[in-house]
Amino acid sequence: MKKFNLKLYFSSFLLLAGLASCTDLELEETDSFIDPGFQGLVDPASAVDGLYNDLRGQFENQGNRYSFMEVTADSHIVPTRGTDWGDNGLWSSLHQHLWQPDHAFVIGVFDEWNRNQLRASQILDSRSNPSSGNIGDASFVRALSMWTILDFYGQVPFRDTSLPSSALPEVLSGQAALDFILNDVDTAISNLPSVGAQAGEANSRASIAAAKFLKAKILLNKHVTLGGAPDSGDMAQVISLVDDIAGDGYALQAGYFDLFRDTPDDETIWSLPSGVGNVIFNGLHYNSLSQGGGGWNGFATLAEYYDMFEGDPNSNRMEVDFTPLDGQEERRGGVPNMGDGVLEDSQVGNGFLIGQQYAADGTPLTDRAGAPLTFKRDFLDGDGNPNIINNDETTGIRVIKYNPRYGAFNGHKIIFRYADAHLMKAEAMMRSGGDPTAMVNELRVLRNASPLGTVSEQDMLDERGRELFAEGWRRQDLLRFGQYTRDWIFKAAGSVNNDKYKLFPIPAAQLLANPNLVQNPGY
Amino acid sequence: MANSQIRTNTNRVLLNGSVEYALTSNITAKVNLGYDQSEGVNNSVLSADIRNINGIQDIGFGTYNTLERENQLLEATLNYQKEFDNSKLDFLAGFSYQKFATRGRNATGRGFGTTDLNGMVADLQSSVNGAQSTINGDFQQFYYDPNSTDLFVRRLLPESREGITENLAPAFGKSVTSVTADTFNNADELQSFFGRINYSIASKYLFTATIRADGSSRFGTDNQYGYFPSGAFAWQLGEEDFIGDNVSTLKLRLSAGVTGNQDGLGYGLAVSRQRFGGLGIDDGGNVNAGGLTQVSTEIPSLQWEPTLNLNVGLDFGFNNERLSGSIDVYRNTTTDILLRTPPAAPASDPFQFGNIDATILNQGIEFAIGYDWIQQEDVNFSTSFNIAYNQNEVQDFGGLIDTGAINGQGLTGAFAQRFAAGQSLFSYYMAEFTGLDSAGQPTFADQNGDGVGNVFQDKTFVGEDALPDVTTGLSLNLNVKNWDLAAYFTGQFGFSVYNNTANGLFTSGSITNGRNVTRDLLTSGDAPGASADVSTRYLEKGDFVRFQNATLGYNWPLKGEGLFKSLRLSLTGQNLFLITDYSGLDPEVTVATGDLGSGVPTRGIDWSAFPNPRTITFGINASF
Repeated sequence: MKKFNLKLYFSSFLLLAGLASCTDLELEETDSFIDPGFQGLVDPASAVDGLYNDLRGQFENQGNRYSFMEVTADSHIVPTRGTDWGDNGLWSSLHQHLWQPDHAFVIGVFDEWNRNQLRASQILDSRSNPSSGNIGDASFVRALSMWTILDFYGQVPFRDTSLPSSALPEVLSGQAALDFILNDVDTAISNLPSVGAQAGEANSRASIAAAKFLKAKILLNKHVTLGGAPDSGDMAQVISLVDDIAGDGYALQAGYFDLFRDTPDDETIWSLPSGVGNVIFNGLHYNSLSQGGGGWNGFATLAEYYDMFEGDPNSNRMEVDFTPLDGQEERRGGVPNMGDGVLEDSQVGNGFLIGQQYAADGTPLTDRAGAPLTFKRDFLDGDGNPNIINNDETTGIRVIKYNPRYGAFNGHKIIFRYADAHLMKAEAMMRSGGDPTAMVNELRVLRNASPLGTVSEQDMLDERGRELFAEGWRRQDLLRFGQYTRDWIFKAAGSVNNDKYKLFPIPAAQLLANPNLVQNPGY
Repeated sequence: MANSQIRTNTNRVLLNGSVEYALTSNITAKVNLGYDQSEGVNNSVLSADIRNINGIQDIGFGTYNTLERENQLLEATLNYQKEFDNSKLDFLAGFSYQKFATRGRNATGRGFGTTDLNGMVADLQSSVNGAQSTINGDFQQFYYDPNSTDLFVRRLLPESREGITENLAPAFGKSVTSVTADTFNNADELQSFFGRINYSIASKYLFTATIRADGSSRFGTDNQYGYFPSGAFAWQLGEEDFIGDNVSTLKLRLSAGVTGNQDGLGYGLAVSRQRFGGLGIDDGGNVNAGGLTQVSTEIPSLQWEPTLNLNVGLDFGFNNERLSGSIDVYRNTTTDILLRTPPAAPASDPFQFGNIDATILNQGIEFAIGYDWIQQEDVNFSTSFNIAYNQNEVQDFGGLIDTGAINGQGLTGAFAQRFAAGQSLFSYYMAEFTGLDSAGQPTFADQNGDGVGNVFQDKTFVGEDALPDVTTGLSLNLNVKNWDLAAYFTGQFGFSVYNNTANGLFTSGSITNGRNVTRDLLTSGDAPGASADVSTRYLEKGDFVRFQNATLGYNWPLKGEGLFKSLRLSLTGQNLFLITDYSGLDPEVTVATGDLGSGVPTRGIDWSAFPNPRTITFGINASF
């Protein structure tokens, strides 16, 4: 009898234990909301914050988008200095136009700017119940992100948030892609607030003016995106969009390098609280100590880019009150001339740094090997031959737009600027048969540069180069003026005039993951 | 060292229990319960005295993390055994359930008022715990920074399914300027149903069949269960009459089976989840707080990674096992490889787990043999030797995945290995170094036919990989009266090691930077500005033989009723010598240098690896 009871007890225990622990393997919502697939965002406003936070990071990065725009162009070069900056050919392959589908930035840009699109689409999904403001912000970011992908890769995958995540994104290109993007821009314009200049934090979000700036950029570059000649209707739209932006109170402002501080100005249409440390330190030498430590001694510019500016080709000094000493125009900046006192705790110059550099106490700096720290026009290796690798620490003219004496976090990294809009309007006038000379000279006089007699296409491109250096647009400007594939120093022979490099390749893993994508010609 | 401190404390509780009960003479039931709980606290601080690191210099940085793990196990089996005239049946059915829970909080602080490391830890703990104690109810995150006097608390509300941020007036001391804290609470489950039948006839023919259904909460909703059968047959040939008596063992084994793998897969990666994204404190002390974000996307198809194992083996022994050994031939095929790969863009994450369409084949042969050379009353001497050959190949894969990150200055994004069809796992892919030119600059072989050898543009599979083709071991055992001596040698052949240490540190560029290098660099002819990118210059054969272990022991002869029942003295040496041509410290090395996010594991990369230590141990064993 006792045995039977025990047996019963044991069997019941086994059964109970089995039943109690038999699980459906479904996760519990212990620290996150779990949905069967995307069902709409619980908090679209906070997703908009997240989206701007992502953009903040993307625009502060010296790699990815910024490198595509500047290092693949004639404006920046990152030579290998000894063992520094080899980085698996990351930088040299961009400048030489030798990138491949496995290039880290080819993968990184495709990933992060497409991800912006998806995050924006999730906000725009009707199940997320976005407010009108959310729709404006998300449409703006989606348009900017999809246009960035279209500009770099010639095609853009679009993921429909109403479909399961296993559905393959369709791929848009050409007119269909532009129509989709421009439709988003128009949605943004009709949902975003009107924000004027010097509006503080409101300038770090999209506004009607920012969306119109984006639309003007898209239309101005449309003939590159689609091929063919500029359309005069598009150019007329660019002109009226820029006029609208001016109507909102944005204007050119004197005092070039003051624009890139944390102080309010009339030119900033859209800025982000991105750190500016990358674009400060990537070119400064290790021994160029200033706020936040020394630089990383990488980025430099080509002598031919520097030579677009007025002034002595071999020297670019200035007084501590910024008075030029070498005949240079304001935008070329200068290296503080020693013996005249110290400039607000830092002797890092503005603009283009060439020649001897100085410490904050006025003593001439040396490089790590003890030689004078004099930045040079040319990129020579140990044998004295021009070379993109095996450089010493002093080759190349360095570029400073955001001065380190104002900190690496000034909360005011300019993304869209009125001077760019001003030049876009001038270019649109030129492309539709008008004369842009007065507009270009209006800017030049404000920047203390001599007025031009007439403005040729080359002058227009050069003026954009002088005004907008290191602002992340150079590749687009070169493409628009048909110069992106021209020869410049260290560009690989097989890449000169090779249209293949007008577009970046689709990352190899993406071709496998989405058969709707087609690799760009030549890759 | 003086400016940083990392300290971890862990407490652990382990409980195990099992009950076994014979229901009838044939049926036995068994329940096994296990519980394992551990709590850890990790503090790590970097003081404001550290120079030249933005975000640490002059402000200081610290983390204060807590982690609790709780694992539960329940296993119940029912066993039926029956003996027939000439055969035996053994049937087992079972169920097992495991739950793995992890909970904790990761807190970060920037802006310390002290550079004393213990003081920093105390300040961070009091700020974090002080802030947390002012919060009522569940929350996911909290933070404060100099931009506001408030404490921000972020909660996930299950009823309304929204995420809210609350401002609390801080009723605690802020001894650190900026603090963020983020909590997590995850639990994964594993549930299996399994059955096994053993049937033997005349103790000569042994049949086994098993089936398992393994379910894991980590997989996609469509494929949480994997079904894994196996079958085996063994024939005790030695028991057959037609085999002579000098054969003491002769057993033929055949088996085929499928096993499932979920290694590397973490919590909640196959379902759509939303929570507040990570908090960051920038170098200026401002907290960047993103909104609710999609932290994972549903992947309903994510499934177990199956491996089909086929094996044929023969065990043999002659003259009462004086000579014994075995031969095994195997072929293991893994498909639907579980890997973090880029999903079709646009996607929330740059990498998602998926079952990639590829096959990894491992096939080879293993041989072991032992012989007792001397079998006498006072003297015994035996040796055993094993050798194995393995061939590995990735097949049927359409992509190329770079892995094996190489570290060091100017080596960002550099890698040494590539996963591709037709190659072994851990195959090296890089430029072929062809020596220095007259000016001391490195040169490389041209692969793409443009006439120029470029270290970045002319990478190729160099025909080497990090998996040894041949592994072998030899052990010797000698007993003479009370003395015993055991020695073990091991060797690996047919693999290469990437000397990342030399590539990253011992270059002429390092001399320019004022760093120490190895002496050979003085005579290597490198120009001062010579670049040092990944190439076969730093790839070396790793073949080695190691005297792994030797023990000399003496059993003290004891007589009569002494204090000791037994007394043994021993001297043991580990890693006594290493024979290799590898120029680094030790070729048997794997440092996790990173996989460039690809999830493809790496092997054979030596990045300042701590070498295997040589140890000598003297031991006394006594029993009373």
